[in-house]
Amino acid sequence: MSNVVETINKTNRSKNIITYGVILIVFVVALVLSSQGEGPSKFPKVVTDEFKFTAWVNEGEDYLKKNYRWITKIIANYIKGVYYFIEDFLLDSPWVLIAAIIILPCFIAGGLKLGLFSTFVIYFWGAVGMWEASLQTVGLMSLSVLLCVFFGVVLGVACSQSDRFENFMKPILDTMQVMPAFVYLFPAVFFFGIGGAPAILATMIYSMPPIIRLTNTGIRQVSKETVESATSFGSSKLQLLFKIKIPMSLPSIMMGINQVIMMALALVVLACFIGAEGIGGQVWQAIRRLDVGWAMEGGFCILLMAIMFDRFSKACSEKDEKLPSNVQKFYLLPQSWEKYQIAKILEMPLFTMSKIIDFICIRTTNFIALIFSLITSVFNKSTANDIGEFIVQRFYLIPSLIILFIISFIDSNFYEIGSFPKEWKLSIRQPISNAVASLTVDEGFIAFSKGLRAFVYLNLLRPLDTFLTHTPWWYTLAVFASIGYFTAGIRFALISILLLLFIGACGIWPQSMITLSSVLVSVLLCFVIGVPLGIIASYSNRFKNIQDVVLDAMQTLPYFCYLIPVLMFFGGGTVSAVLATVIYSIPPIIRLTALGLTQVSGTYSEVSRSFGGSILQTLNKVKFPLAVPSLVIGFNQTVIMAFAMQIVTPLIGGKGLGLEVFNGLARADTGRGLAAGIAIVLLAIIIDKISLAYTKKQRVALGLAKN
Amino acid sequence: MTLSKKISALILSLVLIIGSFGTANAGKRLHAAIADWTGGIITCEVAVQILEREMGYKVKQTVFPSGTGLWQAVAAGELDFACESWPSYAEADDVMFNEDLIYDGKVVKSYKGDGTVDLLGTTGIIGTSDYWIPRYAAEKFGIKTWKDLNKHKKEFATIESGNKGRLIACPVAGWNCHDQKRLDLLGIDFQADELGTEAAAVAEAKAAYMRKEPFLLYLWTPHWFFGEFDMVGVGLPEYATCEGDTFTEANNWKDCGTKGWPATGWDKDYTMNYGNPATFASAEHAKAKAFFEKMRLENVDQSTMLVEVDIKKRDVKEVVNEWLDNNPNKWKSWLPN
Repeated sequence: MSNVVETINKTNRSKNIITYGVILIVFVVALVLSSQGEGPSKFPKVVTDEFKFTAWVNEGEDYLKKNYRWITKIIANYIKGVYYFIEDFLLDSPWVLIAAIIILPCFIAGGLKLGLFSTFVIYFWGAVGMWEASLQTVGLMSLSVLLCVFFGVVLGVACSQSDRFENFMKPILDTMQVMPAFVYLFPAVFFFGIGGAPAILATMIYSMPPIIRLTNTGIRQVSKETVESATSFGSSKLQLLFKIKIPMSLPSIMMGINQVIMMALALVVLACFIGAEGIGGQVWQAIRRLDVGWAMEGGFCILLMAIMFDRFSKACSEKDEKLPSNVQKFYLLPQSWEKYQIAKILEMPLFTMSKIIDFICIRTTNFIALIFSLITSVFNKSTANDIGEFIVQRFYLIPSLIILFIISFIDSNFYEIGSFPKEWKLSIRQPISNAVASLTVDEGFIAFSKGLRAFVYLNLLRPLDTFLTHTPWWYTLAVFASIGYFTAGIRFALISILLLLFIGACGIWPQSMITLSSVLVSVLLCFVIGVPLGIIASYSNRFKNIQDVVLDAMQTLPYFCYLIPVLMFFGGGTVSAVLATVIYSIPPIIRLTALGLTQVSGTYSEVSRSFGGSILQTLNKVKFPLAVPSLVIGFNQTVIMAFAMQIVTPLIGGKGLGLEVFNGLARADTGRGLAAGIAIVLLAIIIDKISLAYTKKQRVALGLAKN
Repeated sequence: MTLSKKISALILSLVLIIGSFGTANAGKRLHAAIADWTGGIITCEVAVQILEREMGYKVKQTVFPSGTGLWQAVAAGELDFACESWPSYAEADDVMFNEDLIYDGKVVKSYKGDGTVDLLGTTGIIGTSDYWIPRYAAEKFGIKTWKDLNKHKKEFATIESGNKGRLIACPVAGWNCHDQKRLDLLGIDFQADELGTEAAAVAEAKAAYMRKEPFLLYLWTPHWFFGEFDMVGVGLPEYATCEGDTFTEANNWKDCGTKGWPATGWDKDYTMNYGNPATFASAEHAKAKAFFEKMRLENVDQSTMLVEVDIKKRDVKEVVNEWLDNNPNKWKSWLPN
């Protein structure tokens, strides 16, 4: 027995040595090759001259513009009309009415806690002077969510009814979910030009996958017994679908809507790049003017909006937990603090407030119900009862409607309320800008930030840049192909060769290598910072809880908000671009490190400890190897996010493919922008596939999964 | 609360939004672009506020990078107008216009394009552009023209530029400055560094000035920077286009060598507003068109507002509003009869 183990160990060891040896040789050869070339490696001119992808795309666009633009124009104008309608309503109505329209549903769905929170959010929008911008974002988002939910549910129902259609949709949905958000903006510009309408269409398509999926699974999960009993009562197929299946899958659909809202918000903000209005534009302008305070205000508006909509849509799909009647319900503090007297006292006003609101609501509703049933009882007794019942059950809805009615009545008859009052403005722009200004003239801080910039640039970015750009393209291609071959097989190797050849033939090989190098440097830094944080989180629960809150907030923030802190402290430049990428893409690596380490079952670590392993040894020899698959998934997600970030880093001095995309948009050179955008996606896909295949292998090797 | 009640809450909000559609009313609407340099933003804001205050317009403003993309968006009618175009930057302009640009009754430039974009009239701002160095550096190294730059390129180098000098270049690629091309053609061994935004480039220059380091900066007038800091232009060769073949996107950026653009400096720019022909041909917008024909903002006025916005960090809308309140005599005459 022990002999067998030894031989396995030996072969493993020799295998390892060979692998490392090969990697070393490959690297040394690359180094030699790259140092020999004079300038950056370029694709043969014959190929790039013949393969005029950029020109083809532009010609295609011109052709479309000349011949089919009228169709897309009709669609775009129609959507624009509806959007202007919503926007006019949001901006021209008295602000109290709009506030009530947002706050009341929040209150009804999420109770006093969400009601108060949404009141604060609304106040914040107005106070920092972003009332209009915020509402424009809300308008764009709600229209795209409406469209998305409508088409998504239809497609989802279709998927659930036909297996063939489901099989057809599945790969499409899979691909859609890997694509970074900005990819959706290109076709929108290509077909519909710039502005709000293409932004809405792009957002609608981008956020559709989750709703299709969740509708489909929701309907498919309706239990067989229910379906059978309905059929035995003689309901037709359509009745079955609309009366039983769809109502029963509503919770699942609601969950889908929640995801749709979050995704839509993220893209709507980003869509300022193609001319959409809203907070995105504000943040962009602020970044352009290096006004950190302004940018932060915009960032907070988006963050608060995201949290509010998230909580609201979650509250709509969740059920309240029932508390025993003798327990005081907590609204702001966690319910578990109930044992502390001081918490009870702090919560008392809120408790009373909600009791009063409930009392008023129920009394008014009962009164109205009484009146209605009295009137109708003249004609028909049983309908009267039904109507009374109907109204009584909606004891929040009716008072809400009354409030809204009163507001609009006052506004149109007595006193014009208008837009958010200017006197209430409470800008935090100046204090933030001043604080940053005072920090950035501090000698010590200047030395630190300069030192960090120089270190990252001289030791990481420049060497890797020169290395990757100077290594001959065919060599890099061969390396990628062989890594692909050993991890994912011959088919994938061939595909990745084709994809890389495409990038080269488009004539953007050097830019791709610059992007690759900044992504790799960012991911490396993510590891250096993220893994220790993950380890701490896996040992300390308290630390993990704090970290989770921060990471949650980070993941709801749209991605170009991450430019702000970096711009604030480090100014513009390639290094700043890398740092912004690090901040954006670090959450998955922290999360999955912590997850991987805590998931390693207790028995393994106990066994190791009983053999006398120290904590460090256990971590190093047992936990880490077992957590590798989880780590690789973290790596995978981080890489994808880092690639997605490349599209916004040109705003603060990033180079490479992102800059090409940006310039393509600014110069109306769709082909150029598209080629660069595709190149980013292709690089991301190749690395994604390789790391996924590697995880699978590791899992099998560790006995965590079957082959 | 049961699920159905929560759904009814959702429905409430939808019904309210849709039900209130009837109350919305649309006025006259125009859609403008927000420029990517402060001067352009101010000029546009002046026009927008006059349209809104005096002429009952509702102007929607979209952030959009200037460059060919903006021209095409205006041509396609996705935007109605854009402000303060600088003719020598817009190389595509001979595709765009079919009118003469008139300043003080004189034709300063004539365009013979296909008219997919309409020339609305000059803004009144006259701009110049050049490369600049601080006076202390010019005196210390005795640099008089761009020809002296190579001798001192070591002093102008940074970590990123290596042994070449560094030009804090035209920040936005969409402006089509072609700085690197110009440097190469003129044989100046400098590296053009695009920093992405006007603010980033100016901040970099300001920091260098504070440290009294030598630096080479692309910049234009009117700009607040020259009020604060003492700069000297390096006097690039005078603007010229090479005969017949200009360096444009249309002829695939054909190289004219050292004879013409981009191996020269920029022309004196009589800046102008331009718009979508269909929009401004309609009777509904005749007054707006008449206003744009009369508009003349002076360099001095833009400069005073630039100081407020960029140095005192005030809100553009606020500053322009204040200027309009305090100087009615300057702009009342622009209004159409």
